[in-house]
Amino acid sequence: MDRTKAILFFVLVFLLVVLAFIFFKNSGSERIKKPGEIPQPAVSTQAPIEKSTRKVTLFFLREEDSRLVPEERNIVSDPSTVREAEEVIAELIRGSQTGLVSSLPAETKLVQLFITKEGVAYVDFSKDLVDKHPSGSAAEISTVYSIVNSLAYNLKPIKKVFILIEGEERETLGGHISLDHPFLPDYSLIVKE
Amino acid sequence: MPKRTGRILCGSGLVLLALVLALSAAGVSGSKELKTIVIDPGHGGMDLGAKGKFGTLEKNITLAVSFKLKALIERNLPYRVVLTRDKDIDVSMENRSAIANNNDAVLFISIHTNGSFRKMAQGSETFFLSLNAPDEETRKLAYMENTSSELEKQIEDKNKDEVKMILWDMAQSAYIKQSSQLAEEIQKELNIFLGTENRGIKQAPFKVLKGVACPAILVEVAFISNPEEEQKLIKDDFQRKVAEAIYQGLKKYTKLFS
Ligand SMILES: [Zn+2]
Repeated sequence: MDRTKAILFFVLVFLLVVLAFIFFKNSGSERIKKPGEIPQPAVSTQAPIEKSTRKVTLFFLREEDSRLVPEERNIVSDPSTVREAEEVIAELIRGSQTGLVSSLPAETKLVQLFITKEGVAYVDFSKDLVDKHPSGSAAEISTVYSIVNSLAYNLKPIKKVFILIEGEERETLGGHISLDHPFLPDYSLIVKE
Repeated sequence: MPKRTGRILCGSGLVLLALVLALSAAGVSGSKELKTIVIDPGHGGMDLGAKGKFGTLEKNITLAVSFKLKALIERNLPYRVVLTRDKDIDVSMENRSAIANNNDAVLFISIHTNGSFRKMAQGSETFFLSLNAPDEETRKLAYMENTSSELEKQIEDKNKDEVKMILWDMAQSAYIKQSSQLAEEIQKELNIFLGTENRGIKQAPFKVLKGVACPAILVEVAFISNPEEEQKLIKDDFQRKVAEAIYQGLKKYTKLFS
């Protein structure tokens, strides 16, 4: 009797997992447009796959005028700012869904991210960010501020961003913009509609 | 006894004479020697800079333009021009600004060609230094004002190097206003001479500008990542126009202050 109950329970959980999976896969684009109308998946708290999402605004490059253009995206919400910051960076590397340019080479990997209590986020990238970078002032400015603005705009605890390469401070990405200091966001680079 | 006094007198006389000679030499050189403009051809050596689709390297274009600009200035204006490099070699950012400061440069012009991720970006722009983190910079500046005059007295020896580093790193902050005027004059001429899209004057935290103790700008002439502009950049005639534009801009700037 107990065994049948247990089996039934697992089958139920399994079904819910599958349903939730299908729901997440199909509703991606709709949820971006109307986040208020998402029905909550009927999964009990015991099922760990149920995760609430939050909307973030990423900044990608528009080549024609080197301006940063906002693009909205849902990420898995997390009580940890570090985790959400990691997701924001992952989305920047994954690239734009609307034909904008990601100023982070696709090969780039996030090595580590931590936030000091003064609100400085240290974002440590793999060397690909340098090696695969095209160099040029415009390219470097868009890389730096795509990262800095996307983090500071969405995550209140982050006031400044320090970019590291493989754990170390780097002079520049390609010979132009100095990386020897934490950056404040610069929203003047964002397109004005 | 008088022999010794005589020797001391003679000795101090010699020292005095040497001092007077040194001072007058400095005075003479100050008035007679030409003032220096430092031109910085971007990148070089292992540092290729941005690359074009047809294989053009930024480091080669910047050097070619710098030679043309040097010739124009020395032919027509009473200035001596020092290049931070005159061949295809690596020069560190610190050394580039040090060359300007060690030569008592009155102007520093860094020459680059721009690069972006794709092909479409185009146009020319002129940068001067931005003081990023304003709070930090103002704190440093306040610290500078408080300490620089009484530096020798107040700072212990072991801290002196650190303070000097801060002063060095912040050298450009005293020249932001003039640098912006220089940028404006040069950008105007780029628009006239090149007909490239006007991307205006901008501020950014350029490593090479930070330590320069005179008005300093960085010119981004067209995009080497844009195949059409790359084709222009490799032409001798276009490079000549770039040099002419920068020359006209700096000439107008120097007239503002004479
Ligand atoms: Zn460059």
